[in-house]
Amino acid sequence: MSAVTHVGMADLVSVRHPATLVTLGLGSCIGLVIFDPSTKVAAMAHIMLPDSRDAKEVPKPGKFADTAVPLLLEHLKNLGAVKGQLKAKMAGGAQMFNIPGKDNSLLAVGSRNVEATTAMLAKHGVPLVASDVGGNKGRSVEFNTETWKLLVKTLGTGSQEL
Amino acid sequence: MGLNLESFSSIQMDAIREVGNIGAGNAATALSKLLGRAVDMDVPVAELISVYEIAGHYGSPEALACGVLIRAEGEFSCNLIFLMEEEESAALADLLISMDLSSVDDEVRIQIRDSALAEVGNIILGAFLNALSMMTGWALPVSVPAVAHDMLGSIMDVVAATFGILGDTALLVKTTLRITDVEGESKGTVIMVPDPGSLELLLQRLGVL
Repeated sequence: MSAVTHVGMADLVSVRHPATLVTLGLGSCIGLVIFDPSTKVAAMAHIMLPDSRDAKEVPKPGKFADTAVPLLLEHLKNLGAVKGQLKAKMAGGAQMFNIPGKDNSLLAVGSRNVEATTAMLAKHGVPLVASDVGGNKGRSVEFNTETWKLLVKTLGTGSQEL
Repeated sequence: MGLNLESFSSIQMDAIREVGNIGAGNAATALSKLLGRAVDMDVPVAELISVYEIAGHYGSPEALACGVLIRAEGEFSCNLIFLMEEEESAALADLLISMDLSSVDDEVRIQIRDSALAEVGNIILGAFLNALSMMTGWALPVSVPAVAHDMLGSIMDVVAATFGILGDTALLVKTTLRITDVEGESKGTVIMVPDPGSLELLLQRLGVL
């Protein structure tokens, strides 16, 4: 049994195998994991917002897609990950409240989180090999370095492995 | 947007709490009329908490919760949420429906309850906004309600993300309404979430900025 590490809101955690990374109750937030099975390292961030543009300061880089992705890659590099072997998986980015006729950007932050995270991964050349995003249901995720699978749990509809 | 929540004065916090007090007072009266039952209100709280700990402030992130949200957009814009534990939301809906739903199939029952909860949210949160509108003289056109049943953490993401745009602290104005019934008590909490920059407008209007 590997140690379970909880990744809180806006947190960013990197681990060596064997380990399990968990983040709970994702709504519009994104659970993003980047990993390298060849060197057996992984890192997860609980991203809240697409970009750090409007923030006065960024004490928690895991909070924004544009600051989380580069820092995840730096952590993985420090643990010895091989750049060409890195892969990413993500879940989250739901819209919990949908008001018909109101396309409000504060309520639709989930889809902007998905777009920004996808764009940052592409920019850094990390392939996104699996994702479960969007919709209107919250998710909890669990990533295990035994299997390199991301377990996504949703209320009512059960769980699936990515 | 030079507003720094951490440096709010006690006068500013009191002014915000008073908004919660009057708003929730109106909401409690409206709910009491709707249900024909006594509705009590806790003393409203205005508090600063870390945006990273919002869900934990209300319960466990994976606890089942129900939220009803309406959005006001006008001279001042904000989201208002009525948050309940999932079980209590069903009890409140059934109280309003006053009908035996045991023979109705699951899907229809969920729809009937959600429509009742949307109406509860509409009445309570609309009453809160009316009070705010009277205090400020602002016209505050309001959206139709949206209902969500999910993990508390997921529902509260909308609060964390809104305050998180500008900083690491959220100013939460919350009031708990308690509905007394023969079978016990159910409760829900009204939470006001002003858009980034809107809190500043409100403080100006109240004469404390």
